[in-house]
Amino acid sequence: MHILGGIVARRLGIAVILIAVVVLTTAAHRRLPSAVRTQQGDDYVPQPQFAKAMSLGFDAVHADYYWVQAVLLAGESENPQAESKHLGRLIDVVTTLDPWVEHPYRFAAVWLIDSLDDVRHANMLLRRSFDYHPDEWRNRFYLGFNLFYYLEDNAAAADALEEATGMTGAPTYLSRLVARLRSESSSLAAAGLFLEELVRTTEDEAAKADYQSALDEVQIEWRARQLDEARENYEKLHGRDIEFVEELVLGNQAVLSALPDAEPSSVPASLRRGSKWLLDDETGAIVSSYYNRRYELHIDEHDPSRNRVVSERKREAPENQGEDSDGV
Amino acid sequence: MIFVRIWTLAQNTVREAIRNRLLYTLLFFAIALIGTGVLVSTLSYVESDRILQDVGLAAIRLMSVGIAIFVGVGLIHGEVERRTIYTILSKPVSRVEFLLGKYIGLVLTTWMMLGVMGVAFACVSLATGAPLDSGHLACFFLIGMELVVMVATATLFSAFTTPMLASLFTVGVYLLGHLSRDLRLLGEQSDAGAIKPVVSFLFEVLPDLESFNVTIAAVHQLPIPTGEVLWATAYGLGYATLLLFLASYLFARRDFR
Repeated sequence: MHILGGIVARRLGIAVILIAVVVLTTAAHRRLPSAVRTQQGDDYVPQPQFAKAMSLGFDAVHADYYWVQAVLLAGESENPQAESKHLGRLIDVVTTLDPWVEHPYRFAAVWLIDSLDDVRHANMLLRRSFDYHPDEWRNRFYLGFNLFYYLEDNAAAADALEEATGMTGAPTYLSRLVARLRSESSSLAAAGLFLEELVRTTEDEAAKADYQSALDEVQIEWRARQLDEARENYEKLHGRDIEFVEELVLGNQAVLSALPDAEPSSVPASLRRGSKWLLDDETGAIVSSYYNRRYELHIDEHDPSRNRVVSERKREAPENQGEDSDGV
Repeated sequence: MIFVRIWTLAQNTVREAIRNRLLYTLLFFAIALIGTGVLVSTLSYVESDRILQDVGLAAIRLMSVGIAIFVGVGLIHGEVERRTIYTILSKPVSRVEFLLGKYIGLVLTTWMMLGVMGVAFACVSLATGAPLDSGHLACFFLIGMELVVMVATATLFSAFTTPMLASLFTVGVYLLGHLSRDLRLLGEQSDAGAIKPVVSFLFEVLPDLESFNVTIAAVHQLPIPTGEVLWATAYGLGYATLLLFLASYLFARRDFR
């Protein structure tokens, strides 16, 4: 009886010790940060060549690791563009370890837009893809967009797009876009074509929403320019400027049969605000009350990162200011 | 007659190896990792098929080599420890035949395990709709050739040293074998005159295990030239033969007392 009691006591003791170890281990684990590296603010990314050497033949799975880090970083961040530098280093490693990856090149083009250096870095990565995906027109399209939209280099953008025109799957309108870029007279139309394609093809939902937002502004600007033309006609006809926009459609000598919609077509009926065309108090320009400003270089007060790009561009090339008067 | 003796030893080695619990532990981890690829691939909103197969093939390569190393290095030592080697060598079986029998048996064991992992990989790929083609077959074949070299390396080290040291040496050769191309590249870029011939020599002496690595090409469904596969096969068989020659030489002079 005494021996049996001893065995039970010993086993109970062991059980207590085991439970204590489990509790302590769990408590210790819970005190450790559980977020992945990028979420902890750890922005260390090895040099691409070093990462390749250290992969020891497991390049593909190593590339996947950094790709998932990039996706998590962009997905968790409220402003992924602000993470451009970090994302750029991650994608550089991914595309060095496995240059045959497809989406990461375009992912870089979408998110590396915080500064002109970031845009150039994205362009370098897109150009790297040409060796591994020589028939992929989308990478050249994104390069063309970056050159046109951020770097305002229409000639280089046209060159990039021209290479894409004959490729399998490339939309037929690319040659029209190239012509518009070469003429440098219809940048707004070019921006519209670029953005329409980006909205159609971008896999990333957040980026798609950004592009749709830019496309909406281009659409409203396009209508505002039609109203500008009508306003000029009105002035010629009546010998005076309009006092309110509705004058363009009123009376026997109306210059327009109806005013265009002041809200983007993509806005669903349930979210419509009943916006109108107004004359801006400060500039006198025709504006939609949906935006209360005219489209210019896609400057958006809610988009500080793009403002930084624009101001940097102006700092870098003050002599080019105003060249592209329709402002895209 | 020699071949019959070697084949008998190889069959015994397979029987012995498949009783090893370590084999099943590594196999379990390999299949678990292949399955984990499904979870990892969901972290990316694009190219999830690629990630799934990258993880699966990495698991297969890692665990196959693990089996080759950790099961392989213990085979000869086990015979010595149990003193069964004396019984075997007292029969009309030479030490070289014994070593070759062990080697072939272990290669067959690792190939069997590779086959099991390949079936698991194919099942997961088919279940998730990830593409499979002849590139994957070429990839598996070359993983098999890498195992031919790694088992020969493990056999070489286990022929003259303890299992612990043999494991360490074989792991070292595996790491260097995958680094040798980068070492050569670094040597070519180095300004120090003495470095270049040294790394060139190392590149020639160490196994170039990257020759057997076509996982990226298989996953991206890039063409894998038949010539490349054949040359890699010839290289692997040649390299393994040289290692076995050296292993036989050392094993023939080993004192078991």
